[in-house]
Amino acid sequence: MNMQIDSEYRPDAVVVGGGIAGLQSALDLADQGLKVLIVERQPSIGGHMIALSKVYPTLDCASCITTPKMSAAAHHENITILTNTEVKAIKSADGMHRVELLQKPTYVNFDKCIGCRQCEYACDSEYPDPFERGLGTVRAIAVPFTNAIPQKAILDAEHCGTCGTCARVCPTDAIEYDQQPRSLTIRTDAVIVASGFLLNDIHLKPQYNAHRNKNIIDSLTLERLLAPHGPYGRVLRPSDGKIPTSVAFVQCAGSRDESIGVPYCSRVCCMYAIKQAMLLSGSLPLADITIYYMDIRAFGKGYEQFYQNAKAMGINFARGKVARIEPVSSGDLSLHVESTEDALNPLQEHRHDLVVLAQGMIPGWNPTVDTPVTCASDGFVETPMLTAPTITNAPGIFVAGAAAGPKDIVDTIAEAGAAAMQVSQYLFQKRSPVLVG
Amino acid sequence: MALKTLTSEQKQALAMLRGSLGGISEAKRSAQKHLVASRKAIQKLIETKPLTVPQIAEALNMSTDETLWHITGMRKYGNVIEAGEEDDYPLYAVVVLEEKSAAGH
Repeated sequence: MNMQIDSEYRPDAVVVGGGIAGLQSALDLADQGLKVLIVERQPSIGGHMIALSKVYPTLDCASCITTPKMSAAAHHENITILTNTEVKAIKSADGMHRVELLQKPTYVNFDKCIGCRQCEYACDSEYPDPFERGLGTVRAIAVPFTNAIPQKAILDAEHCGTCGTCARVCPTDAIEYDQQPRSLTIRTDAVIVASGFLLNDIHLKPQYNAHRNKNIIDSLTLERLLAPHGPYGRVLRPSDGKIPTSVAFVQCAGSRDESIGVPYCSRVCCMYAIKQAMLLSGSLPLADITIYYMDIRAFGKGYEQFYQNAKAMGINFARGKVARIEPVSSGDLSLHVESTEDALNPLQEHRHDLVVLAQGMIPGWNPTVDTPVTCASDGFVETPMLTAPTITNAPGIFVAGAAAGPKDIVDTIAEAGAAAMQVSQYLFQKRSPVLVG
Repeated sequence: MALKTLTSEQKQALAMLRGSLGGISEAKRSAQKHLVASRKAIQKLIETKPLTVPQIAEALNMSTDETLWHITGMRKYGNVIEAGEEDDYPLYAVVVLEEKSAAGH
């Protein structure tokens, strides 16, 4: 795996983001013989997709799709990967881009680390695991997660007790407490922005009282609960470890709502809620599962059938809007709903013991500060040409996946391939002699 | 595993890191002590009989969500396993030594 570079290294393209969009773009370029640098700010490549349980509408295992791509990128001779690295600026001039990077210290020499995790087992400092959305624990020095790439330990200085035990147990003397942040600038001909998305804050709507009850979670947290290697090893509610018996999904909780600054539809929530409901009904066969929705947007190939299958499985679909969520006794939650399908009884109250809020997708990175890339009013990268959705306003800088707007995995992968093709074409035109007559 | 002795360079680097973090705060020390003490107390409590999270929390006067968080960490690192269910709650038991070595911990 290529992970060491200096400022002399000159890739044909830099891909910002090592999620599924970035990986697909990088692989498609690298397979054409082009040198690619992937820059990932997290300790591992894989993005959000490596943390998902299964994908819709096929219910294929998400990590079974993502891990081979992560591995292919890591072992590709034309791909170099920098993790724990942020893009600070992109400066473009004369058709060349200078990408300014900041590599954060890991305090572990990756050339020496063999991923044996002896340091992790010996460490006695634990904190809420960000990969498990805070539900699980991780030690101050640890391999980020089971199928992380690179499989190298990383020391989190903020949570380190500086006891020195990790260095005392490391069989290869890989611990380097004196590592410093490293700045470097890479010159390249093309950039693909594949910086993905974040979910907006679960606390944005005070009416939902997420700060008052741990059993109100977002969809990515439920993905971890559903994953085979999730924090609890099964689905339990976070407040007290109870096996849920009644689960509610609240759709459009963080989208289509001007009051929280997200007036647009996040496009994926209907389908992932249906998927999660189906998976829940498999792992909790006795649980009642209700999806509170305004309308179901099942627009992709096979999606409508997937929705119908969920209804046939006994998932309850209740049309209406959840106005308020109130914590009640024993960690349960009372949902106050305005039903749009029961004219005689529109104002209803339902009790559940786990509530999943469909938070909105927002941009994972704001590139407008120190790059020539412009964003639309929704904050996602602007793509001015309807016929070329991967082309940005900045020549030589392209975009793929959720960085350009909310989209699902299928569309993300298709767009990543398109971005790679656009880059390839751009480089070919740029480097070919001008044909006359 | 036998612990190696830190070299003087490592000690110096460690001191440098500690300095860059502004030393180890009292809050951090206290959180660390609390973590170790809580884990020990949970381990001792479920040594003889598997218990649910609310039962452990009640016995140790700890919140249920914090108890679950500790159990999650202990389970992850091979100190605790699930041992059945009681009233919609999983029961947790201590892993005995033979089981731990079989699990590779």
